[in-house]
Amino acid sequence: MFDLLGIALRGLLHRKKRSWLTIIGILIGITAVVALVSLGTSMQLAVKRSFEELGYDVMMILPGELGGGFGGPASFGASFEIDVDALSQVEGVGEIGLMYYASIYVKASENEGFLDALGVSENIFSFFKVEQAAGRRFAPGDRNAVILGVEVAEELGLEVGDTMEIEDRPFTVIGIYSADSRLDEDAILIPLATMQDILGTRGVSMVFVRAAPGYRVEEVAKRIEAFLYETRGRRDLSVQTMEEVHEVVQRALGILGAFLGGIAGIALLVGGIGVMNTMYTAVLERTREIGVMKAVGARNSQIMLVFLLESGLMGLMGGALGTGIGALLNFAAVAAAKAALGARVLEYGISWWLVLGVLGFSFLVGSLAGLLPARAAAKLDPVEALRYE
Amino acid sequence: MNDEVIVRLEGVWKVYRMGRRRKIEVEALRGVDLGVERGEFLAVMGPSGSGKSTLLHLMGCLDRPTRGRVLFEGEDVTRLKPSALARIRNRRVGFVFQSFNLSPTLSALGNVELPMIFAGVPRKERLARARELLSRVGLSERERHLPSELSGGEQQRVAIARALANSPDLLLADEPTGNLDTETGQGVLSLLSETNREGVTVAVVTHDPEVAAIARRRVRIRDGRIVGGDDV
Ligand SMILES: Nc1ncnc2c1ncn2[C@@H]1O[C@H](COP(=O)(O)OP(=O)(O)OP(=O)(O)O)[C@@H](O)[C@H]1O
Ligand SMILES: [Mg+2]
Repeated sequence: MFDLLGIALRGLLHRKKRSWLTIIGILIGITAVVALVSLGTSMQLAVKRSFEELGYDVMMILPGELGGGFGGPASFGASFEIDVDALSQVEGVGEIGLMYYASIYVKASENEGFLDALGVSENIFSFFKVEQAAGRRFAPGDRNAVILGVEVAEELGLEVGDTMEIEDRPFTVIGIYSADSRLDEDAILIPLATMQDILGTRGVSMVFVRAAPGYRVEEVAKRIEAFLYETRGRRDLSVQTMEEVHEVVQRALGILGAFLGGIAGIALLVGGIGVMNTMYTAVLERTREIGVMKAVGARNSQIMLVFLLESGLMGLMGGALGTGIGALLNFAAVAAAKAALGARVLEYGISWWLVLGVLGFSFLVGSLAGLLPARAAAKLDPVEALRYE
Repeated sequence: MNDEVIVRLEGVWKVYRMGRRRKIEVEALRGVDLGVERGEFLAVMGPSGSGKSTLLHLMGCLDRPTRGRVLFEGEDVTRLKPSALARIRNRRVGFVFQSFNLSPTLSALGNVELPMIFAGVPRKERLARARELLSRVGLSERERHLPSELSGGEQQRVAIARALANSPDLLLADEPTGNLDTETGQGVLSLLSETNREGVTVAVVTHDPEVAAIARRRVRIRDGRIVGGDDV
């Protein structure tokens, strides 16, 4: 078997240019597969991470129907008022976090303009990850205190302890959060009460509720829905559990993945047909050699194996190179996403099982594409093959 | 069964079907009876198209007769499976062709190794044996050369070394000097005689009387029938 591999390798090396062209055909398909699968994995991992940080025992109350998803603009669109005290009395409701989203006017020395701002209850940090780069978080009694995203801090030249103006009121910078946070680093945080005061509202954009220990999230969500309908008389708010949102997002990613996978599959099919074509040509060209191999006692199965190994090797080489290029593309995509969107939105989507799987798969594609040509070679009549000009 | 006979053809016919509907029949062999004795040096002579190559292929189990029987070392090979025939060709027979038929992708050494690879001989043993054979045909210096880098005479010597790789009982040569000049041909012929002296049965197809003269026995074939020879 190992020695037959040597013969196959010689066959490949003997027609270098054509072998390479064929390998490139496979390479393109495998590159597409690896790039797209890893991109899908990157997105799924990123989504999974953000949900894990939030915790599966958390649900959100948002205006409108399910589908906006966490972090989507739809969920920040409208504000609504809610009786937090009554909500906390609902059975199974644990910790409650509040958030108000708005674009507000800020001014620091020479710079001024609008920034995304989140008015948050001081316990909001237990609901999602905010990495403190400097200073502290909100404490009870904080009024005109602000925590800046690291980008804002840099742009405005502000440090912890400095003061700035927000909607013409003086604020003290008490902290700065880093790019590793689940917030855009060009946003700012202020206490919810202050935000409501500035905007003259009692509303919120989003409510986070954690199920109390021992309660199932889905059950609590149902109770909250009933409570909301009872107190408001209409279904203008929806309760989303992380499970639900996660499912919706994963399903969407799954469909995207299948679509991309289909495209990659077609590319690979074309590559496979290229291998088949090359192998048929090789069998034809080497008819006489096949006759000779049979004359010196090669069994049909051995001839078949030589040609299968040859096409499998082409698949494997295309697969190895394609995996490398696809992995580079994935790194590039992660880097580009980070450069464009600031926060680390994507995870690396290359895993050992993907690499090994793809290598095995590309060898298989090559061998399968070579199956018919190899069979044709094995079935040649030795005498006719020897007479072939 | 005569133990002294290595291969025997009994009433052998070979009919090729040609044409679009395979309706045209070409009778390459028409009832051949021939026994090749162990240790002999046989020359098969005859005009072009008389069926010499066909006869040689049948003797070497490369092909099967349309009618009649081929007994190889006493065994009727007519109904053997392709894999069994391959095994006989691999272990018991060595072929040498007019156009050398070396594998163009393999070096001289690789070509000599080839039958041993198919026989499953371990690499170390195989290399030693291939080197020994190449030195026997005087090509030790050329083991790394590809066939395209060798002269015709050298290629044919590699082919003979390859044919002897698995120590066959029967060496079959189809016009081995047909593509060589007289002098180079002489070298190849003496190699065949030497092989025969070492105990290997040799059958050579030729229409060169000089080649036939070296053989210990001659048979003449015409239109698919044996028409004469030393013993007919
Ligand atoms: N595969 C084949 N299909 C059809 N006809 C064939 C085939 N092989 C041989 N023949 C025919 O059978 C006859 C004998 O062929 P063979 O090759 O045995 O002759 P030969 O004596 O070896 O001739 P040469 O000296 O030219 O090599 C010829 O008429 C040839 O055309
Ligand atoms: Mg002939």
